[in-house]
Amino acid sequence: MSWTHRERILSALNHEQPDRVPIDLGGAEFTSITLAAYERLKKHMGVTDPTDVMSIIHSVAHPAESILNRFGVDTRNVQPGPFKEGVDHWIDDNNYVDTFNVHWQRTEKDVDQHFLHQDGPFHGGKLSVERVEEYDWPDGANVGLASGVKERVAEIKAKGDHAICLYLPGGVIHRGYAMRGFEAYLKDLYKQPEAIQRLMDKLCDFWCDTARIMVEAAGPENVDIIYFGEDLGTQDSCMFDPETIYKNYLKPRHGRMVETVKGLTGGRAKVCFHCCGSAYHFIPHLIDVGIDALNPVQVTAAKMAPELLKEEFGDKLCFWGGINTQKILPFGTPEEVATETNRIIGILGKGGGYVLNTVHNIQAEVPPENIVAMFETGVNHRYH
Amino acid sequence: MSIQKIYDAVMEYDEEAVPELIQAELDAGADVRNILEQGLVAALDVIGEQFSAGTIFVPEMLMAAEAVQAGLDVLRPLLVETDAKPVGTVILGTVKGDLHDIGKNLVGMMFEGAGFNLIDLGTDVDAELFITTARENNADIIAMSGLLTTSMPEMQRAVQAVREANETSTINVKTMIGGPPINEEFAAKIGADGYGMDAPSAVDRARRFLEVGM
Repeated sequence: MSWTHRERILSALNHEQPDRVPIDLGGAEFTSITLAAYERLKKHMGVTDPTDVMSIIHSVAHPAESILNRFGVDTRNVQPGPFKEGVDHWIDDNNYVDTFNVHWQRTEKDVDQHFLHQDGPFHGGKLSVERVEEYDWPDGANVGLASGVKERVAEIKAKGDHAICLYLPGGVIHRGYAMRGFEAYLKDLYKQPEAIQRLMDKLCDFWCDTARIMVEAAGPENVDIIYFGEDLGTQDSCMFDPETIYKNYLKPRHGRMVETVKGLTGGRAKVCFHCCGSAYHFIPHLIDVGIDALNPVQVTAAKMAPELLKEEFGDKLCFWGGINTQKILPFGTPEEVATETNRIIGILGKGGGYVLNTVHNIQAEVPPENIVAMFETGVNHRYH
Repeated sequence: MSIQKIYDAVMEYDEEAVPELIQAELDAGADVRNILEQGLVAALDVIGEQFSAGTIFVPEMLMAAEAVQAGLDVLRPLLVETDAKPVGTVILGTVKGDLHDIGKNLVGMMFEGAGFNLIDLGTDVDAELFITTARENNADIIAMSGLLTTSMPEMQRAVQAVREANETSTINVKTMIGGPPINEEFAAKIGADGYGMDAPSAVDRARRFLEVGM
């Protein structure tokens, strides 16, 4: 039989082996390619389409259809539209204020030119329940967020049979870090637990509302995968205690998000959760709340060896990512990239349960030859 | 025995109790150096070990470092009076082209808590600034950090520049590097004198430099 893109990816996410490994590029803002690497890739491949920016904040491109087709990419991305009549605005080319009143500044001196958060509405002073409540929260069901969704889905459907990936650019804590300041937020997990939980609830409400209006606009039957996530791990360890902080505060709220987004699609859609760094100690909890796939599988972080993950969790969790962006993609040869890609497919793709993608966005210095080597290995791969 | 209370307060991340207990101890005539070493440094060492072992995490490290800072604020003027020398002087910063400083800040807190004289140059630090600051302050160590893989070549250049400065000028400073994409192998390859896998191990490595003499 000949497999459609949708069938291929859904089969893998149902822990079955399709014809070849399914491939993602640009399904979400953290599975794509940075603008600098993209420009070189376009030149290398002779692609002249104008560059479509997926996210200025992350400095990533929305890869052109011609490139996605050449690489056999099985996913197509659907993003929320711009929030209407919110506080978000550009101060100048390098400074942006988002819907949550977070000030982002371009890392002008970095090669990759992405943005880091500098200031937010809860920076400084003591965080209290009242302060969180009194804040003028944006509405997650703002009509702008669903704008363009219906048209984008129709465009994808008209062009092929790809898996439609709906991307929610937030979770329970991630924007909270930016609103409060990273270090203060982490300390508040212990010092102001009530206020922090209220802040988590507000963000959880927001994204559940956004998911609802986006899924309605897309048509519930059309949504195959929903991505969301946040960073719980560091390179060597956990950001915070998985058995107290995560279990008591985040887990119930992640559970609510998963239940909401799955409920919106009648339980059809798969949920792919993004968590950088060492996710190992969080994985049992993520499985508990109904996460189907883990991205980006940062194989160079502590306790993230692909063999270990597949052995311990492979029957319950799929893996989405895993191609090493900290060492092999930027510094290896195309042959080394191909060998590594085959190795990862061999381990994580055993019995299905794997979608080929890099560990986070393809970074600025990755040579185009290595990008091509990775995707060609994927598209030429056969399970049988 | 009351120094034990200071130690315990750090272990409980109690930034309010630590300065109060230190003041009470000073009023009772305790030695400033003993308070620093047995109360603050000893506690932060254990915190560091727990962090490296993965039994506590970033929030606990931040809270412990804050409690130690609150204690150091009380002790610092007195340490100056006693003419006590710091353990060593460390110049810290993220390398040129890298603005990610969460890890670097943790390293800085641990160095200060361990009694080092810390000069934090912040982010995007040029190799030449590391070197001139080291020279002006007679520093022992330059510690460089980076998150991006794109920073690794810059780290190599900076380490090389420091080595050349060591050979051609009056400074005699060790280099240490750290950050998510960095490992021991890379440190050895570019000729850095040391590598810290995390903030506590960076302090540990720095202490070993000073023990063996510079």
